[in-house]
Parts: sequence; C-alpha cells; structure tokens
Amino acid sequence: METQPPDALADGEPRALDPRSIQVERLGGWIFTAIVGAILLVALGIVVLTADGMPAWLRRLLPFVWLVVTILLAWHAHRWPVLAYRHTSYRVDALGIEIRRGVFWRAAIHVPRSRVQHTDVSQGPLERRYGLGTFVIYTAGTDHAKVELSGLEHGVALRLREHFLPSGDADAV
Amino acid sequence: MPSEQRLHPVTLLFDIVKHLRAFALPALLLWFGASSGGPDGRFSRLPTGWESWLLLLLVPAVAASVVRYLTFRLQYVGRELVIRSGLLFRNERHVPFARIQNLDAIQNAFHRLLGVVEIRVQTGGGTGDEARLSVVPREAFDEMRRRVFEGRSGAPAAVVGDDFVPERPAPTARTLLHLPLREVLLCGFLENKGLVVIGAAYGFAWESGVLNGFWSRLFGAETYGGGLFRDLVGGVIEGQGLPFVAAAAAVAGLTAALLLVRVVSMVWALVRLYDFRLTRVEEDLRVEFGLFTRVAATIPLRRVQTITIRQGPLHRWLARASVRVETAGGAGADAGNLRDREWLAPLIRLSALPALLDQVVPGLDMNAVTWQPVHPRAFRRAVRPGLLIAGLVTFVWAVTLGWSAVPMLVISLTWAVISARQYVRHLRWAEHDEGVLIRSGWIWKHVTLARANKIQAVSFRQSPFDRRLAMGRVRVDTAGAGVASHRVDIPYLDRTVAAQLADRLAVQAASTEFRW
Repeated sequence: METQPPDALADGEPRALDPRSIQVERLGGWIFTAIVGAILLVALGIVVLTADGMPAWLRRLLPFVWLVVTILLAWHAHRWPVLAYRHTSYRVDALGIEIRRGVFWRAAIHVPRSRVQHTDVSQGPLERRYGLGTFVIYTAGTDHAKVELSGLEHGVALRLREHFLPSGDADAV
Repeated sequence: MPSEQRLHPVTLLFDIVKHLRAFALPALLLWFGASSGGPDGRFSRLPTGWESWLLLLLVPAVAASVVRYLTFRLQYVGRELVIRSGLLFRNERHVPFARIQNLDAIQNAFHRLLGVVEIRVQTGGGTGDEARLSVVPREAFDEMRRRVFEGRSGAPAAVVGDDFVPERPAPTARTLLHLPLREVLLCGFLENKGLVVIGAAYGFAWESGVLNGFWSRLFGAETYGGGLFRDLVGGVIEGQGLPFVAAAAAVAGLTAALLLVRVVSMVWALVRLYDFRLTRVEEDLRVEFGLFTRVAATIPLRRVQTITIRQGPLHRWLARASVRVETAGGAGADAGNLRDREWLAPLIRLSALPALLDQVVPGLDMNAVTWQPVHPRAFRRAVRPGLLIAGLVTFVWAVTLGWSAVPMLVISLTWAVISARQYVRHLRWAEHDEGVLIRSGWIWKHVTLARANKIQAVSFRQSPFDRRLAMGRVRVDTAGAGVASHRVDIPYLDRTVAAQLADRLAVQAASTEFRW
C-alpha cells in the first residue's frame, strides 16, 4: 500500500457497473434463449412425429407451449440484465471492496484487502467486443473462495487489479 | 545443510499389500462369477489356471510403486520442503514451511510394529494433501516436525534465505487434556456414532453379498427384513387397533436396537479415540489418539480458524462438552480423518473448559461475553418455513393416504411452532475483540467463534422474506469450513443492526493483519 499512490477508485463511493454490460448480458441471454429454443423445437418435432398415441388436442397444444416458453425466456433475457444492473454496485476503499448484488435475494459481500490471495482479470469474447472485463478476487475462504465482479470497463478492472495487488508477503491464512 | 532423505524400504511392502487389497475384491468377484458360470459358462473356453494370470494386472501398479520408491527424495532446503519424485515425469515440489498448515502422522498397527509413519502435509490451498509421505521412519517425522514448526512462535511467518536451522533442545510438552478409558467410553456413548458404523457395515455386507439369505436364516421367511414393524404401522393406519403383543415386541426391539447402537458407538470411540491426548508444545497443539491406528496431528495455534463448543442434552446433564477447531488445511478432503483430527477435546468437563479455551484463544472468557438476541419478531419469520413444510407434507399424506393425515397435521404444526420458538429463543450472537460468536440450537447447542484475523469475507444478505420484515443475516466466511460445520451465520437480525455488524466485522477483519 505504501509503495503505490492510492487509486482514485478507492474513494469509498458506491459505483455502478459499465452500462454496456447490460448489452453484453442481453446478448448472452439471447444466445442462451436461441440454443434452448432450438433444442426444445427439435425435441418437440421428434415427440410430435413419433408419438402415435398422442391425443390430437395435446398435439396442437405443444407448439403453443414451446412458443410461450421461448417468449418468456426471451423476455427474461431482455429484462433481467437491466434489473440486475440496477441492483449491482461496488465500493472500494483502502480497507477492501464491498460488492452488492441480487434482485430478489440481495447480498453485500465485503472482502478485506488483506485477505486477497490473488486476483484475475478475464475477458470473454462478448466482453472483449465491448471492451469490458471481469475482475475476480480469490480468498482463502470457503463460500467466497472466488468473488467475481463482471461488467466492468476493462481499464477499470485492470486498475482494481493494481489496487488489490498483495501489499506484502504476510500470510493471511 | 541440505540433507537428503528417502522413503523407508518397507514402503514397498505396504504398497504391494495396498495394491493386493484393492485388487482382491474385484478379482474374487470375477473368480466367483466365472466359476458359477459352470462348465459351459463364458469363461470355459479359457485355459485352466487362467486365474493366476489375473495377477499380471498388478504389475503396472507395483512397477509404479518401485519407481516411486527409488526416485523419491526429500530435502530440507532453507525454509522449504523439497520433494522430488518420478522417472519419466520428473516432479519437484517446493513447500515453504510457512505455508504448511498441518503436519499429520498416521500410524496403524503394522506401521507401529515396524517403527514407521505415514506423513501428510497440508497447506491452505486445494482440497487434498499437499504431499503424502508413505512411509518414513518415525525419526524422520520428528525431524520434519522440528524443522517445520521451529522458530515460528517469535519470528515472522516468512523468513527467506535462512539456510541454517539451529538445533534447539526439544521443547517441553504440556498436557492440556488426557482422556482416561472411562471418558473415552462415555464420549462414545454421548456421540452416538453407532448408527454410522452399523450403516457402513451393513452397506459393505450388502454390497459384498454376505447378507443374502442372512435375514431369512435369522428370522425365518415370514418376518423378512423389518416386515413386523411395517405390518404394525400399516395396521394402525388402517384403523385395526394396536395388537398389544406385537407393539410390545416392537418397542422392546427398538430399545434393544438403540442400546446396540450406543454400544457400537462406544466400541468405535474405544478404537478411534483410545488414549486421547492433547498437548501444547510452544505454539503448537498436538493431538494423539487411536487404539490400532495412532494418529498424531499437529495444529499450530495460529492456524486455528474457528472454534466450536458442542453440547447435547446428555452432555449438559453430565456437565461435559466437546470442542473442535477448524484449520485451513485440506478442506473437505478425506472427511472422516480430518474431522476427527480437528477434535480438540472429544469430551471435556465444563470446569476444565475455560482453561482449554484460554490456551487456544487467549483472552476469550465465555462468561464475560455479552450475548445479544436476534430480532424480536424473528419467531414470525422463523416459523413460516416449518408451517409451510408441515402443510405440504400433510397435503401429500392426505391425498395419498386419506384422513389419517389430520393427527399428523396437528403433530407437525405443533412441532414446527415449538422448534421455531425454541430455536429463536436460544439464538444469540456476540462481538468480541477476538472475533464474532454465534450460539444456536436448543437440543444440541453449538457455540462457534470465528477469529477476526481469520475472517476472509463478510456478507450481509436479505431474502425477499427478510426484506418484508426489515431483517437481514450476516455470514462470516473462514477458510477450511466443512459442509456440515457450524458456521457463523447469524439470521433474523434487524436490517440496520445486520448491515452495521457486517461493516464493523469487515473493518475489524481488514485491520487485523497476520499477527504472528
């Protein structure tokens, strides 16, 4: 801590994620929806074509069920990232980081800086296209052995990594 | 002065026996399967005496053991343990002393006969053992223990480039707890491990087919496998009234079974915990126990993450408790052995408890702790899941079995209300300079302390139900917590109290660096 000037990020103010993360999450959700929808469609086709003893009303109903499920998934993929974005924030100060998230089940996770074992900054293909990154903290804990914060601007994630570089070789276990 | 050590030559013997043991069961099954096939069976075309060729399958395993034995080298370089092994795939592993969480020695009866031990080295990372030295002479373990844990008490954890480890006189060991035979048996009686042992034995017997025909030979064909009890319950449900003789027999049988379970549990304790001894050597706790397999474990005091005191109803009646600690090494691995290793005191008199706690966490006085209750409306929040489950179970029961579900509903609702009320009434939490404490349970009571300097993360959580009642919970994450361990996870707190507690704990954790 003494060897580097404190980052401007470490001001103890709550920050939101990069708004572009909504778009990334949506893209991911749509891809998921497309895959699940396609698989369900194939399954539906097989069932309708092979099951002979099926009553006619069920045969007509099944495509509607598929349509409703797919629309619900798509709506969820479109809507959920906005809600999740609204309920996610992080706060960094000299002592550590606090991450808040969760729409229905909410959690605020504090990780003291002195307990950080090591950190990662990762970028998936979608994130790379939008210049975003995921900051990952590893602790020696059990539930929170790995704490991820995705949807950050890549530069911010790198700055966070700098801030959380271990300050000494003290052994926090 | 780096000295090189090898495994003890009897390693080969133990390895071969181990392979043979692993090999024996499948080979036997195959053999039986083949012979039961008869002269026209699937194996009849093989030349006679083919069974002995099965032994060829052992060759790769034995060869691997020989290579491991011949190439294995252990060195102490500076303040590191260097282990080399492998012929084609060379493997060199450096384990800094400072990273070693625990050093265990396991010695079964054969090991003891030959004066060797199996050493397990555990570090904070990963789930398994960092290194397993099987087997080395007893003196090698003493030397390793001396080198690894020496000079830890005063010096900082990481001393680099110190090539010379000074020879010190052997430090004196102070016995903190020793369980005489009577206490060991009592511990077995109270812990009630019998069901586990019986279950495991039954499972093994069933797997290996020993049980086929056993029940019918024992009871005759009519009362096959618990049919008596089933008939009895069925009769009551169908409203035939209680057949008195059968009921008495069932009660007697049940009592006998419960007693048997307790006796088996006492035998378990005798074998596992015989001559349990907890000693303190400088800054380390050493635990030794076992009748046939002696386990000698070293728990450095500064590696203690949480400490849990547990009391069942019989414990309270006899003024006893059991104490265990959690360390960071090898979380989740080899659960049985580890759980027993972390038993600081399987059974201790309440009068001796403060002295023991003072050794592990100096300054912790349980009587001076100011316990705080949870939210006043916690009962309302706690009782709901129980009521819901009771309702669901009754509903399913009513649909499948009919009106006999009504008394069931009454019983389960009463139980849900009583248990929720008792649970909330006994739920307490406290803050302390040393960390945070939680006390929970009303039949089995648990008190757990998570040390502030071992808190890895603190989370404040709210479910939708919590938010409706302005509540929240605080969960403290430490290293090495098992799935079944009693965690510091305080539910039903007032929202602001919980948020502030989480903040305070995070600050307290952040401001305690590694102190030793």
